[in-house]
Amino acid sequence: MKKLSSKIWLLIVLFLSATVVFMYIFTDFLYEHFYVEDTKIKMVEVGEKLQTMYKGGKVTDELIDAIDNYAAYSNIPIFAVRNPRELSACVPFDVDYDALIGPAERQQLIAGNAVIKIGFEKRFERQIISVILPFTDQNRLEGIIYLYYPLAKISELAKEEVVLLITGAVMFLLVATFFVYQGMRKILRPLANLQQAVNHMAQGEYATRVDVTSKDEIGTLSTAFNQMAQSIQREDEAQKSFLATVSHELRTPISYVKGYSEAIQNGYISDQKRDEAIGLIARESARMERLTNELMQLARKDEKIPLSETEPLVLAETIRDAVSLLQNQAIAKRIQIEQSLEEELIVMGDEEKIKQVFINVIENAVRYSQENAAILIHSKEIGSDAVITVTDSGIGIPAEDLPHITERFYRVNKARSRSDGGSGLGLSIVEQIVKQHHGKLKIESTLAKGTDVIITLPIMEES
Amino acid sequence: MKRTHFILFSLFVFILTGCSDDRFERIDPHQSFVASVNIIEPSITFFDQSANEIALWPLEKAYTGAILVGKDAILLYGHQLKDADLYELSTGKLLKEISTGLGVTNAYFDAQTEKIFITNSKTNELTSYTMKGELQHTVKLHNYPMSMLVSDGKLYVINYKDTILSVISTETMAILDEWVIPKSSHGLVIPTGRDELWVGGHGEGNSPNKTVDIYAQSTGEKIKEILMPLMPVGFSQRDDEIAVVSHGENILYVVNTDGIIEWQLEIGANPFAVAHFKDSLVVAGYDDHSIYFINNRRIQKKVHTEKGPFHLLVREG
Repeated sequence: MKKLSSKIWLLIVLFLSATVVFMYIFTDFLYEHFYVEDTKIKMVEVGEKLQTMYKGGKVTDELIDAIDNYAAYSNIPIFAVRNPRELSACVPFDVDYDALIGPAERQQLIAGNAVIKIGFEKRFERQIISVILPFTDQNRLEGIIYLYYPLAKISELAKEEVVLLITGAVMFLLVATFFVYQGMRKILRPLANLQQAVNHMAQGEYATRVDVTSKDEIGTLSTAFNQMAQSIQREDEAQKSFLATVSHELRTPISYVKGYSEAIQNGYISDQKRDEAIGLIARESARMERLTNELMQLARKDEKIPLSETEPLVLAETIRDAVSLLQNQAIAKRIQIEQSLEEELIVMGDEEKIKQVFINVIENAVRYSQENAAILIHSKEIGSDAVITVTDSGIGIPAEDLPHITERFYRVNKARSRSDGGSGLGLSIVEQIVKQHHGKLKIESTLAKGTDVIITLPIMEES
Repeated sequence: MKRTHFILFSLFVFILTGCSDDRFERIDPHQSFVASVNIIEPSITFFDQSANEIALWPLEKAYTGAILVGKDAILLYGHQLKDADLYELSTGKLLKEISTGLGVTNAYFDAQTEKIFITNSKTNELTSYTMKGELQHTVKLHNYPMSMLVSDGKLYVINYKDTILSVISTETMAILDEWVIPKSSHGLVIPTGRDELWVGGHGEGNSPNKTVDIYAQSTGEKIKEILMPLMPVGFSQRDDEIAVVSHGENILYVVNTDGIIEWQLEIGANPFAVAHFKDSLVVAGYDDHSIYFINNRRIQKKVHTEKGPFHLLVREG
């Protein structure tokens, strides 16, 4: 039995069967407990009333007749006995006779007590409840009143209906089995679909999705599966995209370097153009170096960027250092970088890494801003955090790309053009460094209006 | 031997000898008594003629009956016991264990021949022993031999689950005659000086016996029957008086040898045994665990016994 549905189905069927059996036993118990007990009490009551008819002495024919007379109108069989043999009076003789009572019961009756028996009685050849009450006079057991009632089991009580009862129980079980089976199939179908989808995923079909039809555990699992599939698909696409970018990015400088170096070697380039060509080769080599560095980071993508020792940093200074490094790029685009910094903000951090954060963010701002635009860098203390906002009025980021902007190799510009110069790793690195410094990175952007990059870093606590 | 070992050993010997002492209370050889053999919780209670208890023998084995053997011995037997035990009354000591095998129904002592007769329901045999318990003869009878009576060298045995009364010679153990009697007969008496044998009984199946049947002792022919409801099973004779106890109706009948009921008395609860003792009639009530002493047709005394008095033994000095 390999299928979960079959196991659950079998379990339910077993449970149902057990319930039917339990109900039968329980009903039987109730019958024994209440019905039998009730009958016993009634019989004792009747017997005790009849017992009062005996006034002592011999048990007379009149008394026997009176009891017989009562019995004719009673639904409980009753009779009075005075034959010594029936009363086990002849014991200790071996009398070859099945007495109504045994020697022990006789002693009990002589003592004036009632005898109540439940069980098979040979005389009546059936299970009975019997109540025996004595007629005693001065230790003499002159006779007994014997009341009995057949102890019919429920099955015996409903002798004609018993076939119907069993058939009903079997039919109920069959119908229940069928519906449980159908129900199980319906409930577990999404699970089967999910299993199929997982198989497809394993074979590399990352576009596979399942229909989510419910909100139960299986529905939640299906949703989670779809999200996982989406992530895998995106990751896969990002990797493919990056590899394409990398190969494209590398191919261009290589062809430059190869072309110019061959041209110089073969003397196709004049002396006055040679320096320019060598400069070009050097520039393209530098680009290749940067690319390969980033590729190294790609190879270590599951590792964290190592932090060197942390130290107290004056945030304003670090920002200014970063700005000064990018000043040339800004000037080239005639972009004004305005700074509004609180000087007192000190954070604990790796100076180089924090500086790289601001370089990456400001570089992005410069890169995606139009010429003559302005970039505003603003820092202030909010609570126990330093909050630095870099605001540009650049091209902005489309809303659908915003959640993924910090993912590795994610490019808003899917054209894989190197025109914007990014490799898709900058913001990913920024986020990782900020997180390592227990800070937060938030990006707010409106397409064609500009972007706010908000970096929150905890202020160093004064000890 | 160390001192502690010696003490322990002495204690051990003392316990062993203590356990093996199966002696009962002595009965004075000159003491007359009537003893009730109680069988629900086996014991023997001895009473004197004033109905005072003389002794009580608590019995450990499941004895179902007892008889006096001579003047100073008592034989105890049991239907479920393999041995019958002969005790001396004056010492209370066990004289002899007689190997009987299971199924002993009754024992009878014939003073004239000094023989003990034992009937067995498993083997349907009658066996005779000397009064010392030595085995003598065995004779095969019919189904369930039980009631016995000796008269004039003849042993009359009722086969309880059969319709045959066997007549056996006490000397030779030869079967002399077999009479036809009702099934489930029990209790025998031979009125002095009459050619009669009276037979009581329980009756068979659902119909209880209401009569004492009288047979001619010489021929075995049924002569007449006396109405004594219900179940006359216990007899005792003295002079011209025969006491019959009908345990089905708890009635003691006293009749003369002609079979005429002289008086009757409702007595006891489920009595099986009656005996003449001195100038009293004694009846044992099985269900009420009591012994009744009757004088002048009235109950003079009622004394309690241990549970289930079933046989009465009388010794008169």
